[in-house]
Amino acid sequence: MAVQPGPNGRVKLNITRRSFLKAGATAGTLAALGRPTGSLAQKRPGAEIPWYRTGTIETTYNNCDMCPWRCGVLVHTVDGVVRKIEGNPADPKSRGMLCARGQGGVSFVYDPDRLQSPMIRTGERGDGQFREVTWEEALDYSAAKILAIRDTYGPESLAIFGHTSGDFWFTDYFAQAFGTPNAAKPSSSLCLSPREEAFKLMTGLAVGGHEPVDWDGLQCLTLIGSHIGEDARNTVMQDFSNAWARGARVVVVDPRFSSVAAKADYWLPIKPGTDTALLLAWANVLIDEDLYDAGYVADWVAGFDDYAGHVSELTPEWAEAITEIPAETIRTTARVMAENRPRSAIMPGRHVTWYGTDTQRMRAVYAINALLGAYGRQGGMYFNKSAYLEAYPHPPFAVAGSSGGCSAEPGEESDELPLGPSGKARADGARTSFLRGATAMQELIDPMISGEPYPIKGLVTYGVNLFNSIPNVPRTVEAVKELDFFLAVDVLPMEHIAWADVVFPEATFVERYDELWAVPYKTPFISMREPAIEPLYDTRPGWWMARELGIRVGLDNYFQWETAEEYLDKRLLSVGSSLEKMRAQNGVIVQSGKPYLEDFGEASPFTTTSARIELYSEDLAQAGLDPMPVYEPTEEPPAGFYRLLYGRHPVHTFAKTQNTPLLSDLYPENELWLNQRRADEEGVTSGDRVWLENQDGARSGPIKVKATQRIRPDAVFMVHGFGQQSAGLSRADGKGASDTKLQTRYKLDPISGGAGMRVNFVKLVKEV
Amino acid sequence: MAMAFLLDLGRCIGCQACSAACKTGNELAAGTQFIRLIEQTRGEFPDLSGGFTNHRCYHCADAACVNVCPTGALYKEDGLTRTSRDICSGCGYCVEACPFGVPEMVDGLSSKCDGCADTVRAGGEPWCVVTCPSNALEFGEREEIVKEARERVTAMRARYPKARVYGEDEAGGLGVVMVLPDDPDVLDLPVDPAPGALINTWTGIVQPATLALTAGATVAAGVMGVIARRNHMLELKALEEGEEA
Ligand code: SF4
Ligand code: SF4
Repeated sequence: MAVQPGPNGRVKLNITRRSFLKAGATAGTLAALGRPTGSLAQKRPGAEIPWYRTGTIETTYNNCDMCPWRCGVLVHTVDGVVRKIEGNPADPKSRGMLCARGQGGVSFVYDPDRLQSPMIRTGERGDGQFREVTWEEALDYSAAKILAIRDTYGPESLAIFGHTSGDFWFTDYFAQAFGTPNAAKPSSSLCLSPREEAFKLMTGLAVGGHEPVDWDGLQCLTLIGSHIGEDARNTVMQDFSNAWARGARVVVVDPRFSSVAAKADYWLPIKPGTDTALLLAWANVLIDEDLYDAGYVADWVAGFDDYAGHVSELTPEWAEAITEIPAETIRTTARVMAENRPRSAIMPGRHVTWYGTDTQRMRAVYAINALLGAYGRQGGMYFNKSAYLEAYPHPPFAVAGSSGGCSAEPGEESDELPLGPSGKARADGARTSFLRGATAMQELIDPMISGEPYPIKGLVTYGVNLFNSIPNVPRTVEAVKELDFFLAVDVLPMEHIAWADVVFPEATFVERYDELWAVPYKTPFISMREPAIEPLYDTRPGWWMARELGIRVGLDNYFQWETAEEYLDKRLLSVGSSLEKMRAQNGVIVQSGKPYLEDFGEASPFTTTSARIELYSEDLAQAGLDPMPVYEPTEEPPAGFYRLLYGRHPVHTFAKTQNTPLLSDLYPENELWLNQRRADEEGVTSGDRVWLENQDGARSGPIKVKATQRIRPDAVFMVHGFGQQSAGLSRADGKGASDTKLQTRYKLDPISGGAGMRVNFVKLVKEV
Repeated sequence: MAMAFLLDLGRCIGCQACSAACKTGNELAAGTQFIRLIEQTRGEFPDLSGGFTNHRCYHCADAACVNVCPTGALYKEDGLTRTSRDICSGCGYCVEACPFGVPEMVDGLSSKCDGCADTVRAGGEPWCVVTCPSNALEFGEREEIVKEARERVTAMRARYPKARVYGEDEAGGLGVVMVLPDDPDVLDLPVDPAPGALINTWTGIVQPATLALTAGATVAAGVMGVIARRNHMLELKALEEGEEA
């Protein structure tokens, strides 16, 4: 009830979230307060008039771009200045609340370090010497370079890397219209690919952006490395907290005593890299002690006998020796999981590219969920469904898309790789160095250097922090040097911007319309983004750039609309709506889903050949890979080294928010979590600054030590995204250490093409 | 009507959304924070317990800062400790007096959480409460809040047998009623934060002199204030030591 539609589809501000107590819930509309009176009107230093009393509040609908989760928000402006962003109570993801990063959105918009004008490079790549140019010149210049690459090498030789919520326009739409299959998102092979491929192999379905844990009735939650609370996805924190307070059992497997491990009933401080052994032993207990859901297995699971045979010797005692988790704890936790079935599940997790054996580990995760009978059961795992929404009519694409990503709609894995207009398939080695899945970004770097299987001569990055996300940075630097053309689209002068030939400064999410977002969820919904203010400086929305560039490279047929409103209204017509109608409905269209088995009647929700969950994979067997997950040991850290683990901090996202003033204020630099005993042995204490050197001699730092009991002695942990080197980032430049720069190697997952990054080791080098 | 916050340290997962919402809703200057999350860890690897404390103004019923404030810039309203920065003299006594170390000087004026007085008067909730994704924060009539806190504690005992309400009576009753999963000292909170004789002595003897100074000598206040403050701090310290002895 908190949002009241006002004139012109605007809404008034009402900061009451919920009706907890009557006194607190009296509907107070700040916008109606008018001008301040009394002492508030006496503006003096340090006693300013609150922003919401300085003029009329206008509110627009948007979804947050501070992380890929995209919670629905209300953007409040006063006199053309964004002053506050709040959760949209009607949005199924935000439900009126936001995380710290979402609260920092305003600060992101007004970061004085933002890129302000299109630029063309004048110095050498890497020098950071540019001249400011008009959009006309920047676009014409870029189009000429892109056409030259297309005419000499074919459109496949242009790679497009995109991330964050506007990536659709470049990585999906422009790429497919232009005809390059080499469009990639870090959210695939540097994050989700193993989890998605494992699920597709076993069920034929996509996990989808929002991990479909059926929180409402959940009675037992198991997390493998997921650190809810530090990974601050708003909805997940809300759902977790409610389930926890209701008394749901929580099992956390993590080498680190994370914020959520501190809330767990069972914390299993596992030896890094051994999770698959634990998962197989859990399956052993569930089957050996007859704890699994036999009825569900009979109806919905194929390959059970094979799996039972496969794990019959993989006892908790076997796993104890590998995982360093006592056999008894393994038994107890398996029993707890089983006691609560089917309202019991292991959450699929998000960033799962750890050791290069990740698709097999994820299969072992899903096997447990299948034995618990969780899929399609209330309180277990629901089936998500995409929101129905027609595409804007366009000519057939020159190549099918395969970039995947965390917001991708469930796609089909075709047997044949899509071919570009000059007959070339993806250059990332799919089908040769790995089996299947979305385009692997890190595998597109080599072709830029070697020209094999064919040269990649052009690169467009959209919102990808190139040197702070792809492992093996020296290789990326070398690759960038080899390019004929490098166009970077970004909001901030990230490190790689200095290497670009042309820079397009983008307007932030509150300054632009954007593609509608059809969200796969338990109740699928459509979320909109509209501008709250005009673009600052000489920045432009991503859709505008993609369209202008598209028209200049002969793709005018794909960009038939004149304005974003026209495009969006056309799409919304397919669901009987429009921007105007959406505004009148609190900026969101909610549809109904098909979450449970019973919603499918007699039909099976699973789209595998057997129409069941397949514990044994024919596809993998045929490809010469293990048809059932096998524990493969990972290399151990050499003496004097620690395994480098990395993860999230609740006020930061990837390598994107470290410079945002408000968020930098809350957490300005990352710290090195080091086991207290080890710190004593190393002779360092909390607050000391050290450098880190990895197994290949790569260094990053200095970083502050956090000596703590909260981590195993054989690993160190740091928050990802720090240690950026860019003079233009006045707050983030040189703060802390970069995990990416210490990841000079990765292990390729032979199934999904994911880049396993937890195979790097570091030692401490004391600052001199 | 006495209002209060509920702060459920069982639910709080340390995400700092409250802190960020407070900073942006109140447009606090860089470097200023009214809410700080402090990680708490007990035990040795791997036998650990822990959580977060949410360090903020606890809105004590018998508030030391209010008692020492010579100008009335800090005052009680609806059970909360409000600030009126317009009449703050910048003396900084509150900074020294608060047993929890809450007020800070920003631009020379006392600065701390005032329970979002302005938005609450308009019928809303404090910014931190609106946003907390974990439902660890609530705001309402104190009586209702205490009731809710007791219910949460009862529910939490299944998991944490030592769970308890904190702040119902402590320090004369706090305006932030806490749900604790464990004993207060485990979370670095004073077991018995009684305001005690110290502050009463302060109010009775020292404050009147300060008031005279502030009212009478505006011109000299700059220099004199500093001197007077230093003296008063020494007196305060002497009183403190006297008490301990
Ligand atoms: S989880 Fe936080 S940063 Fe991500 S979209 Fe939601 S509010 Fe924004
Ligand atoms: S927003 Fe809520 S859960 Fe997050 S730190 Fe604050 S009180 Fe804790």
